[in-house]
Amino acid sequence: MTQSLVDRHDVELAALAAAGGRREFGELVRRHGSAVRGLLRRMGAQPSLADDIAQDAFIQAFERCAEFRGEGTFAAWVKRIAARLYIKRVAREARYVAEVENDDVAPSTDHAGRVDLDEALRGLSEPERLCVSLCHGAGMAHPEIAAALNLPLGTVKSHVKRGLDKLRARLQPPGQSLGSAQHVG
Amino acid sequence: MSADEFDPDIERLFSRAPQLPDAALFTARVEHRLQKGSRVRFLALGLAGVIGGVVAVRETVSMDLATGDGVVAGSALGQGIRSASLNTQGAVQSGLDQLGLANLELGSMGGMQLFWIAAGALIAVAAAGVMRLSQDI
Repeated sequence: MTQSLVDRHDVELAALAAAGGRREFGELVRRHGSAVRGLLRRMGAQPSLADDIAQDAFIQAFERCAEFRGEGTFAAWVKRIAARLYIKRVAREARYVAEVENDDVAPSTDHAGRVDLDEALRGLSEPERLCVSLCHGAGMAHPEIAAALNLPLGTVKSHVKRGLDKLRARLQPPGQSLGSAQHVG
Repeated sequence: MSADEFDPDIERLFSRAPQLPDAALFTARVEHRLQKGSRVRFLALGLAGVIGGVVAVRETVSMDLATGDGVVAGSALGQGIRSASLNTQGAVQSGLDQLGLANLELGSMGGMQLFWIAAGALIAVAAAGVMRLSQDI
């Protein structure tokens, strides 16, 4: 009896997709579509743009599926493709050089006073948000981000550090440390 | 990422995918684009193959095999091939006439160039066919 698609591992599905299996690739899109779209939104893309780029990223991933060796996760691999596509778009529009500080924007909280990541990210400047998302969301190293964004390494490091400091402060409910807080996904 | 920047809580938050209500629609759109791309590629390769095939057949039947002194000169085999060639040429020519391609000009390319172009196109079509079969199986 053939194994159901939902039971198959990502690496197995990717191998079948590399041989032209569109149904298998569809299962991978179903599993990781939201993660890729979510990352792009966290990087600062508007929802419609994020969806367009995520679609392009998956199409590119399908065409390059043979390159995926299963060294990392499939989701991380597609996220990196999507992140690079978004960076290209942003670089074309020269948006990341604009320093827009949003410190005065108060993050929304739930009834327990907790802030979710997406809300907290809105409090970061655009370069900080982009660098933090690339680093922690797409798993890119600082030199890789610097090369992709065409920014000095020191600038990327300071964007990440400042961004993380802001995130920690925003994610931490008053009187609680981040580690002990129960987060909202 | 340096050690002081590693924050398991931040990592954990980033690793969580948001629940998007239109996830199924997104998947359907990607699948539709994949299918569309595959269809376009298949049609383009098929068209290239047909054009290449027509060119190859036309060039093949236009070859004057009887004058190839070093190849089949004077032999019965040469006569047979020539006869078959003329018959095929007539059939192809009438086919091209029906398709409105009677005056098909192939420019200044040599016979060998056209042969390799046609061969390349046919190989591409064969590869596309094999790929298609492998997808369907």
